[in-house]
Amino acid sequence: MMSAMQRFASSVLMTAALLSGCVMPAPPPGQAIGSVRPAPPIPAQPPSAPPAPPATPAPRQFQLGAASRALVGQAHAQAKSGDFGQASATIERALRIEPENPLLWIELGRMRLGAADAEAADGMGRKALALGTGDPSAQAGAWRLIADSLQARGRDAEAAEAARNAAGLAPH
Amino acid sequence: MHLKRPLLGVLAAVVLLGALYVVYLDRLVTHQFQGRRWTLPAQVYAAPLELYAGLALSPSELERELQRLHYQRAERADHPGTYHLAGERVDLQLRAARFADETRPASLLSITMGAGGLQALRDAAGHDVPVLRLEPLLIGSIFPIHGEDRIIVTPQEVPPLLPAALKAVEDRKFDTHHGVDPLAMLRAAWVNLRAHQIEQGGSTLTQQLVRSYFLNSSQTLSRKLREAVMAMALDAHFSKADLMNAYINEIFLGQDGTRAIHGFGLASQFYFGKPLGELDLSEVALLVAIVRGPSYYDPRRHPERVRLRRDLVLKQMADQGIISAPQASAAAQRPLGVSSRPAGAYYPAYLDFVRRTLRRDYHDEDLTQAGLRIFTSLEPRAQDDAERSLEHELERLDRVHKTAGARLEGAVVVTAPQSGDVIAIVGGRDVGYDGFNRALDARRSMGSLVKPFIYLTALESGRYNAATVVQDAPVDVKLVNGTHWRPENFTHQLYGPVPVVRALSESLNLATVGVGLNVGVGKVAQTLQRFGLSTPPAQVPALLLGAVDVTPIEAAQLFNGLANGGFRNPLRAVRAVISQDGKTVKAFPLQVSELASPAVVYQVDRMLVHVMDHGTGRPARALLPPDLVVAGKSGTSSDYRDSWFAGFSGSEVAVVWVGYDNDQPTGFTGSAGALPVWAHLMASLGTTSWNAPMPESLAEVQIEYLTGLRVVPGCAEDIVAVAVPAGTELPAKPGCGFPLVQTPTNEPVNSLINNAQKWLHSLTH
Repeated sequence: MMSAMQRFASSVLMTAALLSGCVMPAPPPGQAIGSVRPAPPIPAQPPSAPPAPPATPAPRQFQLGAASRALVGQAHAQAKSGDFGQASATIERALRIEPENPLLWIELGRMRLGAADAEAADGMGRKALALGTGDPSAQAGAWRLIADSLQARGRDAEAAEAARNAAGLAPH
Repeated sequence: MHLKRPLLGVLAAVVLLGALYVVYLDRLVTHQFQGRRWTLPAQVYAAPLELYAGLALSPSELERELQRLHYQRAERADHPGTYHLAGERVDLQLRAARFADETRPASLLSITMGAGGLQALRDAAGHDVPVLRLEPLLIGSIFPIHGEDRIIVTPQEVPPLLPAALKAVEDRKFDTHHGVDPLAMLRAAWVNLRAHQIEQGGSTLTQQLVRSYFLNSSQTLSRKLREAVMAMALDAHFSKADLMNAYINEIFLGQDGTRAIHGFGLASQFYFGKPLGELDLSEVALLVAIVRGPSYYDPRRHPERVRLRRDLVLKQMADQGIISAPQASAAAQRPLGVSSRPAGAYYPAYLDFVRRTLRRDYHDEDLTQAGLRIFTSLEPRAQDDAERSLEHELERLDRVHKTAGARLEGAVVVTAPQSGDVIAIVGGRDVGYDGFNRALDARRSMGSLVKPFIYLTALESGRYNAATVVQDAPVDVKLVNGTHWRPENFTHQLYGPVPVVRALSESLNLATVGVGLNVGVGKVAQTLQRFGLSTPPAQVPALLLGAVDVTPIEAAQLFNGLANGGFRNPLRAVRAVISQDGKTVKAFPLQVSELASPAVVYQVDRMLVHVMDHGTGRPARALLPPDLVVAGKSGTSSDYRDSWFAGFSGSEVAVVWVGYDNDQPTGFTGSAGALPVWAHLMASLGTTSWNAPMPESLAEVQIEYLTGLRVVPGCAEDIVAVAVPAGTELPAKPGCGFPLVQTPTNEPVNSLINNAQKWLHSLTH
């Protein structure tokens, strides 16, 4: 493994190279490195200054389609009468129509919380978080679900952190 | 006198015994018939099609879906099970339907079609309907081996023509006799005597019911007597309506392999694919014609013979005044109308998976007797596409690669990535054959399907990314038994330094083995298990070339995790089990849990997209829509025994295996055998592009495919975009217009080499 010292040295070197704008000669492509079998990787450089600007994902704002909206409404009514099983099944219908909509995964997680299945709700929250990339409000909703799921399982410190993540994305 | 008394005594004893026997039979019949409960095999349903504005479905596709459910096109959609096309509008009389979560009465729906699919749905009152399901397709039932299968119908579900026709043809005096019709019996005996064979039945419907319900089919006099007594007993105790209903649900009407088709409810589905209540006159007459001998009058095997008998039934109905003569002759003009395939939808491989899922929770008796309704994830359209793709391509491959004495086989599994729903299973090329289910039971070497999981493990180590240059160089591992393992590339060439994305795309064995040895065989095995491999694989170096046996369904579980961005759903075929009275007995709710960092999985998925445009998946391009983004990996096991392709779009994961049952070499790779099936399937599914959002911790960079050097567009011949952790500095291609960053020295590399040597040493000694 690369030692911390080497890492530091290489980043200094690279920074210097970048600042000076000089071009270092590249080894000819296809140059063999050693003759050991199997060959180890040539690792990519660890993050160093200045980092390449990350491609910022296009901001998005998820909404529910008309069909999903109707089904979510129906699910809420079922949940209100205490039937979280049916409510979950109704949200699943919507998810079959819009499987990549984080708002529906959050809804499904809420139903699981209602059915006292906090662990399942956590999975839905993480799924929503991944799908909600680029939509801070959807991601905040996902974090709030995760926070509630953690809290329900008595993991208060982690819950507080998740809640902070939510607040950081979409302050109330 | 002296002699007569004992005779009288004997006579009295016989009469008494006879009377006792009659009483016994009477009790038996009454008791059993009163407490009668037909064993009701569980009925299995496909996923219902959700209709909503915006659904991309062309008018012809919608019509195909309706026809799959045996909706009839009509001048006016005026009774359930009919539809009417009027330009851009489809009027549809929905049947009453029972779903897992609700019961819906029959109702009218108007659909406006447009260029992009369904535009609007309206109910009879003209109100917008946001979403509505077609009824789920019945795809089979779980019946005991060599057992009776049936669908029970209530008298309300029976078209009035049916009992009338049964009486006209089988038992004219049904309403007035006392269970037996002595005159009819005599007449039949006379006819049979003259013809020296059985030509007329002479049994009343009640006798037929007794025979089917209580007795075996031996033709002895004592049995005939017993049957007559029991029929009279039944008639004395039960109403004619009750007996007719029992007859309609009981009688044997056909054989489907080991499955016995009982009752008119199931026979209607079995022969016509629609509910009994929707049969027209000619169809009712056909079923009544079959009663006399379901094997002799099998409409699929002897259509002409059955046609004659159906027309005779129609004539007798007219003679009895049940229908008019013109009605009879009009109905006689109709074709038989029998569906070509039993039940119209029979998916034995999928049913097999359902059965196995349920056997974990249920006893056989619950499944075959309790009248459960089972709702599954099967999508008939995808299932049909999968079947057709496999049949079609295997026929082509058979022509191209003639192998003496062997027949190519295959299996397909299709899942929905976000939910893990199994939407199609094909267990072999004889799709209707309920036999060896390769999708679940063929354990075959996974070959290069393992490679994405090796690179995933490598990326997780933090030491690799898609642009990392690795060596495709000879590998020599001394094994514990003293032999040497020297794998080779598929092409028997060495590729030297290559970026990871190329090593994966072109399925380079040596580069991959190098990476795998470096991150550790044990780690790779752990990754496979995490993603759903059911048994721990042997931790030998050959694991890195896929020397581990998996079933196609297991491969689908593994790739579903990749397609789902690092989330795991247990593959699911059954959504809910509903009892006869409509209660949810068991639900299988959607489950999802994180099994790998979404960022790492995203990087692997991006590379699998390049498999399709630069690597072994490229031949699929010719078959796929040009803009469709898909990702996948080919797999070929040693000596070409197994040809695999596993891949996914945004909406489907599909795994295809092609090979011989006896494990003999096929002579072709995953790209040549399984890939065309896969591509054919993906093209016909109307699938959506893979379009997962890139996690915020990653950045997209352009690199030169051959060298892994960072480039800007236009400064290299072959550029691919890969995702790497944000802030990763990649060496740039000289002269590409940005300040270059180069690996400054070889020192860290050398230290890595040393580490790898030490590790290899520990592995092999």
